[in-house]
Amino acid sequence: MGPIVTVMILASTYALLAAGIVIVYKASRVINFAHGEIAVVGGYLFYSIGMFAPGSLWLAIGGTMVFAIVTGVAIYLVLMRRLIGEPFYVAILVTVGIAILFKAAIIIVWRAERVTINVADQIVAILPGGAKFSTVDLATIMAAVLFYIGLFAFFRFTQLGLQFRGMAENPLLASQRRVSVNAIMALAWSIAVFAACLSGVLYGGRALLSPGSVAIGLSGLTAALVGGLDSLRGAALGAIVVALAEYSTIRLIDPVLSEAVPFILLLTVMNVRPWGLFGTREELDRV
Amino acid sequence: MSIMYFKRMTTALAVTAVVLGAAVTPANAAEDYTIGYITDLSGPLAGSYTPTWEGFELYMKMVNDRGGINGHKVDLKLDDDGLKVDRAVTLAKKQASRDNVIGIFGLSLSSTQGPVLAEMRNIGVPVVTTFSGILDSLPPAKPYSYSTGVVFEVAGEVIGELIPEIVKSGKVVAVTIDTVGGRAAIAHNKLVVEPKGYSWGEVIFPVRTADFVPHAQAIIAQNPDVVVGHYGSSQNLGVISALRKEGYTGPYVIAVYGVTEDTVKLAADKSGSGENLYTVNRYVSATAADNAAVQEVAAAAKKYGTSKEFSTMHVTGWVLGKFAEEALKICGWPCDREKLNSVIETLKVDVGELTGGPIEMSKDDHYGPSYWQLSKWDHANSNLVPIGGWLRKDKLEYSMQ
Repeated sequence: MGPIVTVMILASTYALLAAGIVIVYKASRVINFAHGEIAVVGGYLFYSIGMFAPGSLWLAIGGTMVFAIVTGVAIYLVLMRRLIGEPFYVAILVTVGIAILFKAAIIIVWRAERVTINVADQIVAILPGGAKFSTVDLATIMAAVLFYIGLFAFFRFTQLGLQFRGMAENPLLASQRRVSVNAIMALAWSIAVFAACLSGVLYGGRALLSPGSVAIGLSGLTAALVGGLDSLRGAALGAIVVALAEYSTIRLIDPVLSEAVPFILLLTVMNVRPWGLFGTREELDRV
Repeated sequence: MSIMYFKRMTTALAVTAVVLGAAVTPANAAEDYTIGYITDLSGPLAGSYTPTWEGFELYMKMVNDRGGINGHKVDLKLDDDGLKVDRAVTLAKKQASRDNVIGIFGLSLSSTQGPVLAEMRNIGVPVVTTFSGILDSLPPAKPYSYSTGVVFEVAGEVIGELIPEIVKSGKVVAVTIDTVGGRAAIAHNKLVVEPKGYSWGEVIFPVRTADFVPHAQAIIAQNPDVVVGHYGSSQNLGVISALRKEGYTGPYVIAVYGVTEDTVKLAADKSGSGENLYTVNRYVSATAADNAAVQEVAAAAKKYGTSKEFSTMHVTGWVLGKFAEEALKICGWPCDREKLNSVIETLKVDVGELTGGPIEMSKDDHYGPSYWQLSKWDHANSNLVPIGGWLRKDKLEYSMQ
């Protein structure tokens, strides 16, 4: 597969993950460290539904979507809502706890089995060199593009999206203007979990799911931090930068360094522009 | 009722509970052989270590059902290290001090083994590892440290010796994860392969790699005639399907470090082709339908039940069980740690058709000669077909120390 296509696929996975992290941060100023674990659990759930009802792709999609929405709402209402007003690190630690719980679920429910999602994976094109570009590869790229377009349209053209932006800007004023803060927060978490599950399902279709797959969450987090935690545009660009850095390291320098390079990149960006490439500078000053 | 009364009653009840607890301890506990087993049952590699434990447990259940060893049953103390070094050491100490085990079996990843073996050497508890082993068991063997498993350095050399059965010439590209064991395996693989006239390439990637496509491209860029994977199930699954997707259709050799047959099948299914997949294993495959010894293990698995699909890892654990039984049999009753250790030091166990020859220990070599088999995956029948006979490996040809 050509370098450009490979980087696009990698970037699409990271962009979906980064989008979820950014949405939660924009709404609540919380960095969700459980994002990778949620993504992998979403993938496992999709796989299980598919095994339970073979051939029912829409059942698996619907089931995973319901899980995403319910889980997102539950995380907010049961855990995060109670932490409003608490120091920010408390909420972050809670997300670490959520990560541990989800990882335990992979081991307890799915017995740490390695699984792959075989979903109508057909060859779309044969690239130079004999590499196969499959439907799942195409779906990964399209999912990321459509998700971002959908998000931009939501925030720009819908009442709810405007309320979300208002609340992200100034929660106190928004609540005084009768914006339901709880509803917006719950929505943010649902969208974030949905994005995570979507990336987990697509990742499971391309590669495999195992307890170790949660590492993709780190790449998504790095992309979000590089791009700017409160910027969706930054998340997309950050994903491309991280994917390009990883790929270049593997192909041009040494594969063993590929894990370290995104973090070297992150440290560099944090030192030069701590708010990320497209993040809001004043956000950092307030913190 | 005064407070003093309650205090006296509480103390009396507590003392009674302790006495009764000691008294109701199973009457035959003092008459059992107590041995420990520590492995990863909940961590990232539980998928490989759990069936190994199950194979060992199956054998011990069979032994106990037959009446035990020398008229005494085997009391297994199982603990889960979750692939964590500190937990493995703590559990080993607990088994040695609180559980009073006379020997410890199993263990998990090679990185957990060194500290556990070192600690048990201090206490004087013999440890026999399975699935993977480290250099502690090779000559000059360290005391109390034994292995019936796969030592990476040995496996690397063996695979190098078997490669001519797959391709007569060309370039060998070895792939591994960035671990001590993986690097050791490919280093020894290279030492054997290059003198035979092959050219060499290698790709090492991080342990936590999530996407294998870029690494597959790096492998293909080296124009391999054969690719050898020195890692576990997850990496094999990821790399094989990525390689096939990227257009590499040549031979791929799976070094069986805990890789089960269903992993090979899954990789073949995922990549759309089971062609050109090979395995190199110390023990016979669970798919060997005409192997009576394997069928005995399969029958035990069916009788007692297993949580994991029957695989070569169950066979690996079963072999360790056989080894443990023979050691305890010779040790006699009563058997203590020192006596067990001296028995194991010179133990020779015939495991039948489960591998190519007996497992033999000696004072200086706690690994002994090992037997290895090259097999090719037959996707149509979902089984591994042996190529040639068993290769006997007496010792490491090259030392990196």
